[in-house]
Amino acid sequence: MGGTMASPQAPVVPAAPEKPKPPRRTRLPEAVRRRRRGENIAGFLFMSPWLAGFLILTAGPMAASLYFAFTDYNLFDAPKWIGLDNFTEMFGDPRWRKSVEVTLWYVVVGTPLKLAAALGVALLLNQKRRGQAFYRAAFYAPSLIGASVSIAVVWKAIFSDDAIVDRTQRAIFGMDVGGWTGDPQWIIYSLIALTVWQFGAPMVIFLAGLKQVPRELYEAAEVDGAGTWRRFWNITLPMISPVLFFNVLLETIHSFQIFASAYIVGGGAGGNACGPADGSLVYTCYLYVQGFENSRMGLASAMAWMLLLAVALVTAVLFWSQKRWVHYEEGSR
Amino acid sequence: MPMNGEVDRRGLLKLAGGSLAALGLTAAGCGGSGSGDGTVTIRYAWWGSDDRAKRINRTIELFEEKYPKIKVKTDFQPYLDFWKKFNTQASGGNPPDVFQNAIGFLRKYDQRNVLLDLNAQAKAGNLRLDGFRAGLEKFGEVDGKLLGVPVGSNSMALVIDKPVFEKAGVTPKTGWTWDDFHTAMEKIRKQGRSGDSGLYGVMYLYDPYLRQRGKAFFTKDGLGFDEADLKEWWTKGYAGVKSGIYADPKKVAQIKPKSAVAAEIAASEFTWDNFTVRYTAEGKSEYGLAPLPTTDGKKTGQYLGSLMLSGSKRTQHPKEVAQFIDFMVHDPEVAKIMGYDRGVPTTTAQYEAYKPAEEKDKVIASVNKEIAAYEEQLVDAGVLETITPHPAGADVCEAAFLRIAEELALGERSVDEAVKQFFTECKTALGS
Amino acid sequence: MSSASRGLSADPAADPAADPAAAPAAGRVARRRRGAGSLAWHIGSLAVLGVVLYPVIWAIGGSFKPNESIVGSLDLFPTDPIVANYSGLADGIADISISTFFSNSLFLALGSVAGVLFSCSLAAYAFARIKFAGRNLLFALMIGTLLLPYHVLLIPQYVLFQKMGLINTYTPLLLGKYLAVDAFFVFLMVQFMRNLPKELDEAARLDGCGHLRIYWSIVLPLCRPALITSAIFTFINSWNDFMGPLIYLNDPSKYTVSLGLKMFVDQEGVANYGGMIAMSLIALLPVLAFFLAFQRYLIDGMATSGLKG
Repeated sequence: MGGTMASPQAPVVPAAPEKPKPPRRTRLPEAVRRRRRGENIAGFLFMSPWLAGFLILTAGPMAASLYFAFTDYNLFDAPKWIGLDNFTEMFGDPRWRKSVEVTLWYVVVGTPLKLAAALGVALLLNQKRRGQAFYRAAFYAPSLIGASVSIAVVWKAIFSDDAIVDRTQRAIFGMDVGGWTGDPQWIIYSLIALTVWQFGAPMVIFLAGLKQVPRELYEAAEVDGAGTWRRFWNITLPMISPVLFFNVLLETIHSFQIFASAYIVGGGAGGNACGPADGSLVYTCYLYVQGFENSRMGLASAMAWMLLLAVALVTAVLFWSQKRWVHYEEGSR
Repeated sequence: MPMNGEVDRRGLLKLAGGSLAALGLTAAGCGGSGSGDGTVTIRYAWWGSDDRAKRINRTIELFEEKYPKIKVKTDFQPYLDFWKKFNTQASGGNPPDVFQNAIGFLRKYDQRNVLLDLNAQAKAGNLRLDGFRAGLEKFGEVDGKLLGVPVGSNSMALVIDKPVFEKAGVTPKTGWTWDDFHTAMEKIRKQGRSGDSGLYGVMYLYDPYLRQRGKAFFTKDGLGFDEADLKEWWTKGYAGVKSGIYADPKKVAQIKPKSAVAAEIAASEFTWDNFTVRYTAEGKSEYGLAPLPTTDGKKTGQYLGSLMLSGSKRTQHPKEVAQFIDFMVHDPEVAKIMGYDRGVPTTTAQYEAYKPAEEKDKVIASVNKEIAAYEEQLVDAGVLETITPHPAGADVCEAAFLRIAEELALGERSVDEAVKQFFTECKTALGS
Repeated sequence: MSSASRGLSADPAADPAADPAAAPAAGRVARRRRGAGSLAWHIGSLAVLGVVLYPVIWAIGGSFKPNESIVGSLDLFPTDPIVANYSGLADGIADISISTFFSNSLFLALGSVAGVLFSCSLAAYAFARIKFAGRNLLFALMIGTLLLPYHVLLIPQYVLFQKMGLINTYTPLLLGKYLAVDAFFVFLMVQFMRNLPKELDEAARLDGCGHLRIYWSIVLPLCRPALITSAIFTFINSWNDFMGPLIYLNDPSKYTVSLGLKMFVDQEGVANYGGMIAMSLIALLPVLAFFLAFQRYLIDGMATSGLKG
């Protein structure tokens, strides 16, 4: 590992950070104050790469985009202040509302399905068996190629008219959709299938969580005569609830920001970049169209900030809810 | 709350402000570079794929042989990615020195001060404007400025699956009318294949259709037709989808970017004549070109479209850019290498230098012969009109036209809604 | 949840063979039972695997089909397999040899991994182990950056790098990695470090070690699983990144695999789907190799970080 690690001297190089404010509490013993100052300096030294990155690459551009959100900006002429016009236009735009609808549906349907698949397979794999490592890697493989452009070709092939999915659907449900990727109502499900297919990442996290569940709990439960389902419900689920929370949080945020797969699978050459009849017009895809195809950076920035607020809100709600259902072990936070 | 939150926030704001200020400034151009011995490097960007890249690289070798003091660096992407990147780079003040362009983008980027007026270079003798076919040298002219020079011409045509047409007993002739076309589509439909892949969404077909009626899609600064016109066009289009003479839009969408003709979903498609090459490579059948249907039996309303080369206003080497464009449009060897990849060569010298019959691949040879014949026949028939450079925002209108037409065909919108939506979106785009 | 319950019915605790101290007689019975259970388990796993890997198998089959029968083809495997899609790659794409794309991507991916390990671990150490003023605020800000849609930052960042004269270099693609911009990894490492026993550094402190020593000699070695997890994810992200290379790189000799893959299909040119699929399967190999080499750490890395809240 040492080869790829940076030298330990590196953090000393940056210039000394600003002196932190002295603690507000009055008259602490000199030694404590010195210790605190030392901690502050060390803290900022260690933080300096992150701080620099945050200020230059994140905060600055973010502030710029916040400003753009209130302007008419085509990337070429100087941004022109137009107040809330972008927001008014956005709320009145039926395509924007459609994109919100499509995204929410994608998040609400896709995330639980993906997590269920991840947990299901994790439970299946959480056993001391030969070949476990092989299965784990194989199930993870889709997550490695999900973002590749050739997936578009594969996905269209699998979900097209008369291909395997279509045939299965007709044979089992008697429904003839005639191919998902060309259908405005069904294309979103092909994207959901694509995200569910990439369940490898949350699965690995679940597996890690399952490994932590103490065996004694199951043994005790068995002595009490608890069945499989009871054991899952009363032991496994509560014990892995922190992992579950972590996965729900991460996958929800990711789902809101889905872009690549919608753009790759939904968009063909020319025409609509976000699926037939806006069927896969997920939020970021529309944002992308407005910003980069229609050169309306101001409007796109306004859209981005709405998304940011929405995701922040959902995150806050999730954090608030975790008190009710997430069980942390004693000792940890 | 941490104790020195205030300090943090102020510092943060200052830095954010700083980077905002930096954004406001426009960057100095740094497209090309010069070095001590007078060697100049220019950046050349274009869209296309692997095959075009290989051809272009060979033409650049020739150019560098002839102009040893000019080095050319290439940069290319597929069409959509090209414009994404171009837009980002141009707005950042860093566009390529010379690049592939199309008529729909002339006014747009002229308005944004991106394009070099090549007139001065033409006057200085670095760019020859003589020897072009069919007045093509005028194609890149906008308001007296020369913003692009065509390297290849193409024209709208009906690309057909020959065996299917033959089996249905349909032979399109010059001057056939829309009624003839409709009958032909019905005959083909009876053979079990849809006739057309979705003409109602092709802006470059609707434009000639309008021209047949004395109108046009675009004027210099807006739309050249009204809601009633579009309503008529889309009502007919939707009826065609319903009756099955036009292909099921779901199926067409599914196989994109492969064409519906090559995928044997439709027997024909209105598109640029040089696309037959692509269809031939993609599909298993034999493909040919048929003329556009007319309204009065004569006027097709069509024009030559073209790929162009444009220079960027920020280039530090306008002379070398002009020399480069000059070489690419006039040198006969270039034509031999490029073939009809970017359309039929625009200068007589190049047109005559490339003989389709000499292609090693027999299929390509016959397809290219047909393209040449098609365009020659257009020139001879004297049906060609001149194209008006599209207003800024035309590219957005074109995309909206295609998208909304598809929504209509899929039954997601009524004709009235679709027409209204198109006019709303397009006017917003043209207005800004 | 059917697979969930199936999984539990044979959980390790219930598996008698998992107990090495079982009596020999019982052991024989157990072994037989284990054999049956194991078979069922493998059949179950393979069934799920078949569904999951169907698209990959389709892609493999597709890569041996002639170009015109790939899109719209209904067969999983070609009737007449050809290797032209692979052998064609030897000529390179657009006069650029395949190895150029791969070595560029590899350079960027490894460079990114080094950057992320360096910068994110430093920041994480500060968040987890140093009590400095403003820590909570900065931590909240860092989490906030997780929520940012990437496209908003694209243009301002481009202008910034352009002003610094860094277009057509790898710097814009790497700088963020060395400045810990990827909050997810900082978060991951923070979670991991928080769970390391505090007594470790207290003991070290008594020995007179500074933060640097504690970070380097104590915390980092213990964080190996988290570091490897971050390394794997970074490698994959960098390998698959398309937008960054597209916008920042001009010179085809600097292009990455993800850009190269797009060269096979253009709406004006003749699309080469076969070549594209073949190359994307080859492009999968380094990622898969990297993953396989480190995957056992991945589980441990996730096990002790994401989990404790």
